[in-house]
Amino acid sequence: MNAPTLEWAVGPDGFHGECATVSAVAMKDAPDMLAERYWAILQEYLAYSSEASLSRGYELARQALVDDCGVLEFAEIHHGALRRLSAEACSDGRTLGAASDFFAECLSPFEMSHRGAQEGARALRHLNEVLEGELRRIAQTLHDEAGQLLASVHIAVADAASDLPPKERGRFEKVAGMLTEVETGLRNLSHEWHPTILDDLGLLPALEFLAQKVAKRAGVDVSVRGDSGARLPAAVETALYRIVQEALNNAIRHAAARSVRIELQCTPYTVKCSVCDDGRGFDANRPPHTQGLGLIGIRERVSALGGSLRLVTEPLNGTTIQTEIPLGG
Amino acid sequence: MRRYHYIRIRRIDTEARYSRDEQTKRDRTCFSCCEMRSSGAIMKSVGSNNEQEVCVPVASDNDLMTARREGREMARQLGFSACEGTLVATAISELTRNIFTYARHGKIHIRPISNSTRRGITVVASDLGPGIADTRLAAQAGYSTCGGRGLGLPGVRRIMDEFDISSRPGRGTTVTATKWKRP
Repeated sequence: MNAPTLEWAVGPDGFHGECATVSAVAMKDAPDMLAERYWAILQEYLAYSSEASLSRGYELARQALVDDCGVLEFAEIHHGALRRLSAEACSDGRTLGAASDFFAECLSPFEMSHRGAQEGARALRHLNEVLEGELRRIAQTLHDEAGQLLASVHIAVADAASDLPPKERGRFEKVAGMLTEVETGLRNLSHEWHPTILDDLGLLPALEFLAQKVAKRAGVDVSVRGDSGARLPAAVETALYRIVQEALNNAIRHAAARSVRIELQCTPYTVKCSVCDDGRGFDANRPPHTQGLGLIGIRERVSALGGSLRLVTEPLNGTTIQTEIPLGG
Repeated sequence: MRRYHYIRIRRIDTEARYSRDEQTKRDRTCFSCCEMRSSGAIMKSVGSNNEQEVCVPVASDNDLMTARREGREMARQLGFSACEGTLVATAISELTRNIFTYARHGKIHIRPISNSTRRGITVVASDLGPGIADTRLAAQAGYSTCGGRGLGLPGVRRIMDEFDISSRPGRGTTVTATKWKRP
């Protein structure tokens, strides 16, 4: 057995000195050196079963995590150490038990990080709900109050016009026409922000409605395909609606697409949704800044629901956004 | 006698109703009992419930090992699972790291606690370092020298059941974290 010898300094400076060495090691020769260190500390633990070895293992794993080592990668390192143990014929039950205790200790930083990610996702989900509620409130106010006000203006204009000679009345009719346009614009905006159809009829009808509107407004061909099965959880329906809305926006505003295909697919466990356009696409490694925010929004909505996002695009070859969200989780 | 202003963020656990005043008193007692920074000096004393409390001054890696060992041993004696013991040791490591980084030395106080239904371990990490201006921020995600990976104090808050920081700029920091045994 020829493990590299380790020197451990004592004290706060030593503490950080050690972290710095491990960090440099992990950056330069990862994962081989990381594996060597792991093996060395594991052997030390198997020989003396001291708290110091556990602490070193913990610090090693913590630094590996900071250097972007994934939990599977780390598990692979542990498996490598186990293989070495069995090759050296010292893998009796007690040794293996101690090795897994040691491994559990090293997983602790990953556990902490995992809990942090979970908490982040919860916070994000909550934030999305708050934003959604706020959007609803604004849309409702726009619809109800501004709509009411415009209706009274309509009546007042008609009233004022009725007393005038027919020649003058024409000008007021023009005003009335413009008011109607404003009314329609506000109503459309309010429906897009707060799609009551989503609450009442579900995702597929809402997407069809959205597609119709967008197709008419932007003069592109938007098709929706999918099975209108059972209703999905409200959070999932809202998220997917907003994702499609954002993707459509991107396709029309940035990619100059002429046609967009939306597909919705529900299984008992997941719902898949893809938006595919024939626009100009972009280099996936360098998404354009203007599009960045929309994509981040989509990614965050998906990750808040524990789903996954796949982006397929290349310059001049269209863009496909595929999302998959687990159900019943 | 030192006076501390307590800015509290507490994940309130309704079942844990041990007296805050009593805890404050204990923290202070502990400050007076061991402000030494010599390695390896552990003070053990018998608490109100006839249980042993441990106070480890931390100034070196050896002290960290001692504190971790004591924490794990207490967890074992109280019947915690090995996994819970690991989390207690992890919390001690992270709290000590915090002391080393900001105050260089301080102490870790580990005490068994209990209420009517459960038993648990409280780890108190205190130092006389520069203190934290915004304790609320310190326990939140993102406030970390490790680039938001959920380690450090926010990590301790998540792996323990209760978490509390009190600090005042220039007067040091005391972090109290409790882990209850799963029923």
